[in-house]
Amino acid sequence: MLEDKIIEVKNIKKICRGKTILDIDQFAVLKNKFNFIIGGNGSGKTSLLNILSLVEQDFRGEIYYKGRKINKDEQNLALRRKFSVIWQDPYLYRGNVFYNIALPLKLRNIEQSIIDKKVREMAGRLEISNLLEQSAYTLSGGEKQKTSIARALISEPEILFVDEATTNLDEESIYFFNSHFADLVTDEMTVVMVSHDRRQIKELADQITLLKGGKVKTTKTINDFNFELFGAGIETFIAELV
Amino acid sequence: MDYYTDAILRALQLIITLDQEVIQVVATSLKISITSTFIASIISMPLAVLIARNKFKTKKFINIILNTMLSLPTVVVGIFVYSLISRRGVLGELDLLFTPAGIIMGQVILIIPLITALIRNIIFSMDEKLYKTAISMGASRSQKFKLLILEARYGIIGAVIAGFGRVLGEIGVSMMLGGNIKGVTRTITTAMSLETNKGRFAFALALGIILLSLSFLINFVTYFLQEGKNYARR
Repeated sequence: MLEDKIIEVKNIKKICRGKTILDIDQFAVLKNKFNFIIGGNGSGKTSLLNILSLVEQDFRGEIYYKGRKINKDEQNLALRRKFSVIWQDPYLYRGNVFYNIALPLKLRNIEQSIIDKKVREMAGRLEISNLLEQSAYTLSGGEKQKTSIARALISEPEILFVDEATTNLDEESIYFFNSHFADLVTDEMTVVMVSHDRRQIKELADQITLLKGGKVKTTKTINDFNFELFGAGIETFIAELV
Repeated sequence: MDYYTDAILRALQLIITLDQEVIQVVATSLKISITSTFIASIISMPLAVLIARNKFKTKKFINIILNTMLSLPTVVVGIFVYSLISRRGVLGELDLLFTPAGIIMGQVILIIPLITALIRNIIFSMDEKLYKTAISMGASRSQKFKLLILEARYGIIGAVIAGFGRVLGEIGVSMMLGGNIKGVTRTITTAMSLETNKGRFAFALALGIILLSLSFLINFVTYFLQEGKNYARR
C-alpha cells in the first residue's frame, strides 16, 4: 500500500564509466520500519543508499517521497533535512567532537543554547561526553563512528540511512553499536540499513532486500524468513533469501 | 670589500632609524599588494571551486589556459592593462594609469591564475566524503561552499600568501602602470631599480633587505600552515 511506502524508486539506472552499476525496476522503503539492504561486493548497495538518501543526483529514474515525485533538479533541501546518513568510514570535519555533532543543527540555524543542550544530551547517550572538547582528528575508529552516529541522530531525522556502520569497527565498538542502536532510534524513525551483520538483521530487520549485480534479486519481510539459517554462513543466509 | 660593508651598514642604519623615505616606499608597496591580493582572492576562491567541483565541456581547456597563465610574465600583464587604461584604451576615461588603482588592476590579473590554480588543486585533492557528508547533513549550496572553504582554510591561506609574495616582488606591472611616482606609486621594487640607477646603493639595499625579510616571513608562515595542516591530518 502506498501509505506504507515512505520512499519508492522506479526504473533507477546508474551508469559509471560506461558500466551499469544499478538497474532497479522498483524498490520501496517501508515507513517506520527497519529496511535492510544486503548483497555482495559491487552489488550496488551503497549506490542505492546514496540515491535513496538524495546524496547522489547523477542517475536516471524516478524517486517518490510519500507518493510525491521528487524533482531531481530542485535542491530538495527541505526534504534532505529530513534525512541523515551514517557512513561506513565517517568524515569528521576539522574541529572538536562538539563542533561535529552540532553541525547539522548549525546548518538549520538552531539557537546556540538549544544546540548546547542537545549535543550534551546526545553525547551522553553515546557515552562520548568526555570527548566533546577533543579534536576529531585524534579519535579512534569507534569514537569517530559514535560521533558520526550522534551527528546523524541529533537532527531527529525522519529517515536514517546506515551504510555498513560496523564494518571497520573493533569488537567492543560493534558490541556497543548492536546493544545501543535500537534504543537510539525512535519509533517514528524509518531506517534503511546496509549491513551483513546477521545479529543486526535478526534483531532489527522488518524488510530485507537482496541486491545482486545492481538488480533487486528479492525482497522479503522478516516473517517469511527462516531464522534457523542464521547459524550458518552468510552464503547460506543469502541462498535462503534467493 | 669596504664598499659592500659600508653599503650594508648604511642600509641597516636606514632600517633601524626607520628612515621616512624607506617607510613610505614599504607602506605604499604593502598597501597596494594587500589590496590586490584581497581582490584576487575574493575572485579566485569561487572560481577555483567552480573548476574543481564541476563537470563542463571546456574544463580541460580552461585548466590548460590556467596552468599556462601561471608563468605569465609581469610585463605582458603590464602591456595588456596599459592598453586598457591608457588614454586611448577602453578604460582610458577612468584615469587609472600611473595610479595605485592601475597597479592593483594589473596585479589582480597577474595573480588570479596563481591563486585559482593553487586553490583548485587543494579542493581537487580533498576527500569526496566531505561533500557527501555535507549533503547528508542538510547543507544548502552556500553552506556546502562555506564548509569546503573552512576545511581547506590552511591550504587556501597558503595559496593567498603565495599570491601576495608574487605581487610584492614583481616590478613589471608596477613600473609600467604605476610610473614610479614618489609617494604615490613608488613600490619597493620600482624604488630599488630607480635608486640603484641613481647610485643610492645603500637605500636600494635597505629595501632589498626588507623585501627579503618579508619574503622569508611569507615563506615561514606558508610552511608553518602547510605543516600544521599535515599534522592535523595525521
